[in-house]
Amino acid sequence: MSQQSDNSNEPLVKIRDLRFYRGERAIFDGIDIDIPRGSITAIMGPSGTGKTTLLKLIGGQLRPDAGTIHVDGQDVHKLNNKDLYKLRMRMGMLFQSGALLTDINVFENVAYPLREHTRLPESIIRKLVLIKLEAVGLRGARDLMPSELSGGMARRAALARAIVLDPKMIMYDEPFTGQDPISMGVLVQLIPRLNKASRLTSIVVSHDVQETTNIADMIYVISNGKVIAGGPSKQIANSTSFWVRQFMDGLPDGPVPFHFPAKPLEADILEKAAAHKTGATP
Amino acid sequence: MERLAQLGRAGIASLQRLGRGHLLLLHMFSGITDLIRRPKLLIAQLYSVGVLSMLIITISGLFVGMVLGLQGFYILSQFGAEEALGVMVAASLVRELGPVVTALLFAGRAGSALTAEIGLMKATEQLSGLEMMAVDPIKRILTPRFIAGLLSMPLLAAIFSAIGVIGGHLVGVGLLGVDEGAYWSQMQAKIDLHEDIYNGVIKSIVFGFVCTWIALFQGHDCVPTSEGVSRATTRTVVHSALAILCLDFVLTALMFGE
Repeated sequence: MSQQSDNSNEPLVKIRDLRFYRGERAIFDGIDIDIPRGSITAIMGPSGTGKTTLLKLIGGQLRPDAGTIHVDGQDVHKLNNKDLYKLRMRMGMLFQSGALLTDINVFENVAYPLREHTRLPESIIRKLVLIKLEAVGLRGARDLMPSELSGGMARRAALARAIVLDPKMIMYDEPFTGQDPISMGVLVQLIPRLNKASRLTSIVVSHDVQETTNIADMIYVISNGKVIAGGPSKQIANSTSFWVRQFMDGLPDGPVPFHFPAKPLEADILEKAAAHKTGATP
Repeated sequence: MERLAQLGRAGIASLQRLGRGHLLLLHMFSGITDLIRRPKLLIAQLYSVGVLSMLIITISGLFVGMVLGLQGFYILSQFGAEEALGVMVAASLVRELGPVVTALLFAGRAGSALTAEIGLMKATEQLSGLEMMAVDPIKRILTPRFIAGLLSMPLLAAIFSAIGVIGGHLVGVGLLGVDEGAYWSQMQAKIDLHEDIYNGVIKSIVFGFVCTWIALFQGHDCVPTSEGVSRATTRTVVHSALAILCLDFVLTALMFGE
């Protein structure tokens, strides 16, 4: 890994002019994002703006139509499969559903990356797994099957699995969605604690404004394929931009319209009536 | 014009699916070297794909053999050739019914289960999760299942045929009074190792390959929603059944045609 940079001023993730299309629709239309090392950076935006897609692009699971993504100095989409897999060992990702393997218990799920990628003796694997499970508060749940866990517990178990190889960075996909207030509180506390204790860099994709602004150092707001605001979280929270205010304050109408694009209501109704009329009198 | 465009789109989509299917096949083959190093993965799948299918195969084999015994006896007795019942039962089973019925049952029992399992793993992001853990889900999850299907099918077909012969014996010899010596000796004399048994084994290997490939591809390629998984499971059974019957005709024509 000669290209790997340890320059601490260089952002860990550098996205430049990223373009990604789904059919005709532009999900990302030239976005630039920097994720500083050691920070918690939030990517926010309304549902359907492609936040999860962005994480998959960073992880190399999807290919952009144009633009580059550098992680730790390496261009993700120019790596061959072997190097990409090596890079992924330094990234953790927490999926919305947890994505735990359902046929093995919590302990085995957390041990899975260690068993796949290392030749550590069983006693060390056991210690490492127990330490990671202790960090997320689930050491006592190690023998449970994923189907026996609540949504919040599944996410915490998945978090333990994501950090078991001690990655440099961790990506959270909507960590707060569908959580009860207690689980949410646990996660809100856990993300910054892990980030600090394990010297991670965290990317949190979310549309939960309150929780995310509380823990994030940097925030990028994405809408309609563009970054509409980006900067330190306090600055974004106090932004006066109409776009940002609509999103942060949850206003139903504004630059992001309440109505899905359509022709005027009158035209739609009259057209139906006219068609009916012509049909009735041949 | 719109219809023509629709037809074209459907054609392109089918060709794309075919291409993805072949790429998946190549990718699965590339995982065989990893599998040799970790035979445990294969053993687990041989159990769930092969051993768990044995009950349905055994029971079906028994009944198919019994029906062949009954039908064969009534037809052969019209020509006074009841003694040839053993040959008739064994030849129909080893050449045709063994490989074909086993493959159809396999598609319904194991193929649909494989599609649903892989489809649900995709829908619940387990495959994506493996990728992000730097584990290749195709090599780790699909290859062992593919090889297990390929190995199980000829074994299951052999069990089906063997049990069928016993079923034919139960009805023919036990119930209808065909001479036991004639049942076995004629079978031994007339069933040819190359002509009958090898060809049957080749058929079942081909069916095992195709059925497991279809099942895994449908699961891996499905739309990751509950409706998508259910459609993919149906497609597995339908496509497998059609593929088995078409291939059976082609293989029979090649093997036994003049």
